[in-house]
Amino acid sequence: MKVAFPYMGTTVIYKKLLELLGHEVIEPPEPTQRTIDLGVKYSPEFACFPLKVVLGSYIEAVEMGAETIVTSGGHGPCRAGFYGETHKKILKNLGYDVDIIVFDAYKRDKMGTIKRVLKVKNGKSWITVWKAINVVYAMAKALDRIEKRIEKMRAYEVHKGECTKAWKTIKEWFDHDVKTIKDVEMTEMKSHKLLDEIKLVEVPEEEKIRIGIVGEIYVVMEQSINLRIEETLGNLGAEVERSQYLSEWIDYNIMPGAARKEHELYILKKGEKYIEEIIGGHAKQTVGHIVDYAERGFDGVIHLMPFACLPELVSQSIIPTIGKEHNIPVLTLSIDEQTGTANTLTRLEAFIDLIRNNKRTKTA
Amino acid sequence: MDKVFIGIDVGSVSTDIVALDVEGNILSTQYLRTNGQPIEAARKGLRNLKEEFKGDIEVLGVGTTGSGRQLTGIMVGADVIKNEITAHATATITLVPGTRTIFEIGGQDSKIIFLKDGMVTDFAMNTVCAAGTGSFLEHQAERLGIPIEEFGDLALTAKKNVRIAGRCTVFAESDMIAKQQYGFSKAEIINGLCEALVRNYINNLGRGKKLEPPYVFQGGVAANKGIVAAFERELNHEVIVPKNHGVMGAIGAAILAKEYIERTGRTTNFRGFECTDLDFTPTSFICGGCDNSCEVIKVEMNGKAMAMWGDRCGKWTNSIA
Ligand code: SF4
Ligand code: SF4
Repeated sequence: MKVAFPYMGTTVIYKKLLELLGHEVIEPPEPTQRTIDLGVKYSPEFACFPLKVVLGSYIEAVEMGAETIVTSGGHGPCRAGFYGETHKKILKNLGYDVDIIVFDAYKRDKMGTIKRVLKVKNGKSWITVWKAINVVYAMAKALDRIEKRIEKMRAYEVHKGECTKAWKTIKEWFDHDVKTIKDVEMTEMKSHKLLDEIKLVEVPEEEKIRIGIVGEIYVVMEQSINLRIEETLGNLGAEVERSQYLSEWIDYNIMPGAARKEHELYILKKGEKYIEEIIGGHAKQTVGHIVDYAERGFDGVIHLMPFACLPELVSQSIIPTIGKEHNIPVLTLSIDEQTGTANTLTRLEAFIDLIRNNKRTKTA
Repeated sequence: MDKVFIGIDVGSVSTDIVALDVEGNILSTQYLRTNGQPIEAARKGLRNLKEEFKGDIEVLGVGTTGSGRQLTGIMVGADVIKNEITAHATATITLVPGTRTIFEIGGQDSKIIFLKDGMVTDFAMNTVCAAGTGSFLEHQAERLGIPIEEFGDLALTAKKNVRIAGRCTVFAESDMIAKQQYGFSKAEIINGLCEALVRNYINNLGRGKKLEPPYVFQGGVAANKGIVAAFERELNHEVIVPKNHGVMGAIGAAILAKEYIERTGRTTNFRGFECTDLDFTPTSFICGGCDNSCEVIKVEMNGKAMAMWGDRCGKWTNSIA
């Protein structure tokens, strides 16, 4: 069975899991203009932007021979809950013969989940499955640790682009060299050594700029469609941190055991004051993360909002109030097929200028 | 010999060049049509400047801004290359201290900038919707057969108010025709258009934000008295139009260059007025590296590659050391 997955963020992780389960994995290419064009062309016009890009990515995977696509579902009332179904329908109408296996939240549908697990389990023993999950989980944690380090370093690299290049190499190492937990540890060590070699400019602590990136998970995690926001901000001299990392998502949504959920619940709590109900998507997290970044002394927040995303529209409407109450500047960028313009760059630049000026006068 | 700081604002409609002396006084301002050729416009402006001072001029620093800031910045050897928001705000804070809100309406775009204690606190830009920019007015003036220069004065003579739906240029146009048929005078229609533009602008850019005075209105459209009056009616407050409202971006760029040179004590990167004679060619090509098919811009000076941009992956940008 040739299996593919949706392209989002550090994809070596999903690839590894499927490989360890003995599947022949088709890795869709990183989304490009073509992916977006395909997605936009075949999606309902009113669909949100991530749904369109993911569809484009599926089409490219099918073109490459994928027979099955494994994906996670979304939660509740926003459209993410229908992602899988919508995609299935569109692909079927286009005449593509492909099976989409959607993993929804385990709690909601235990039997269904088990059935789906059996499909993906591919006849492997439960021990193998357990081992695979452990390796992949360790890998997700390691990669997130490395990426977080890069997100800080990039602001100070002497030669532009070095960190990004190293990150690419590191992902390739994990892709090729990792089969066991031991491999994960070795590769992580090697990766940190590689990063140690990158020359950085010394910047005094009080001049450092820290920006949090919040918003809907797909546009926050997938750099190919969000202007490579982390690199862009890094090049402007700002450290960044995202509101979402894959390993944290796994902790909250998949891993059993309450302790691991704490971080997410803590964030949700912070958003409580502004959005009481879970209205779907990541609106409540978005709001909670802004408060959290303000409390942690970040200098600003970039809010990424996919075009036609209702939940984020709600968070956008409350953001001015939050920004004021917590005294933190927030810039909302709407992400759609036309985002890559000079105009957005100008706005980012001006935003960083605003923050830098703020800092100068504060410290002076 | 005059020692000056030069500011260049290269926009899609106009290219503005100013020169400040070491005290920050404005010695010279120029407003040139860009005509789709930013480099040519900048060259011409620099040549004019040199002539104006009869060559007796020493340049201490140069700043560029506007959509062509990068390209021009490389050509002249700018010390500071800054975005329009920061440049405009810098000029306004210097010329009208205490400003809290800046309205900027140019030919192709518009912005709003919020300030507090001389610092930018927030801003918004509009480049997609024509209904809030100068080109909308120019277009309507043409339709009504009124030279754009007379537009503002004529609006002030309106006796009755007429509300024109200005949500979008297409609606505004059809509504305008309808209102003409109802017998409203040209002056009244024009006044209605000014009000529609202001309403639009405030709804689009000021959304949900408190607009605090003092208000400063700048950009090409600030020359239009009808619009100024419409702003004042809408806000019920005086709106200041600075003397050099049309070249504020260039002034800001010059001030930023001045501040930078003074802060760092460096000497300027300016290539000298001879740079206008250098062989400076931007070219573009479509990269076939992946399905993004980026249009990459490459700038060469005397055959040497100076800069590249437009690639989404950074492979070209980072290829220039
Ligand atoms: S959160 Fe927004 S972008 Fe994501 S699926 Fe829901 S509507 Fe679409
Ligand atoms: S510049 Fe980079 S992203 Fe753009 S087409 Fe070439 S390889 Fe692809």
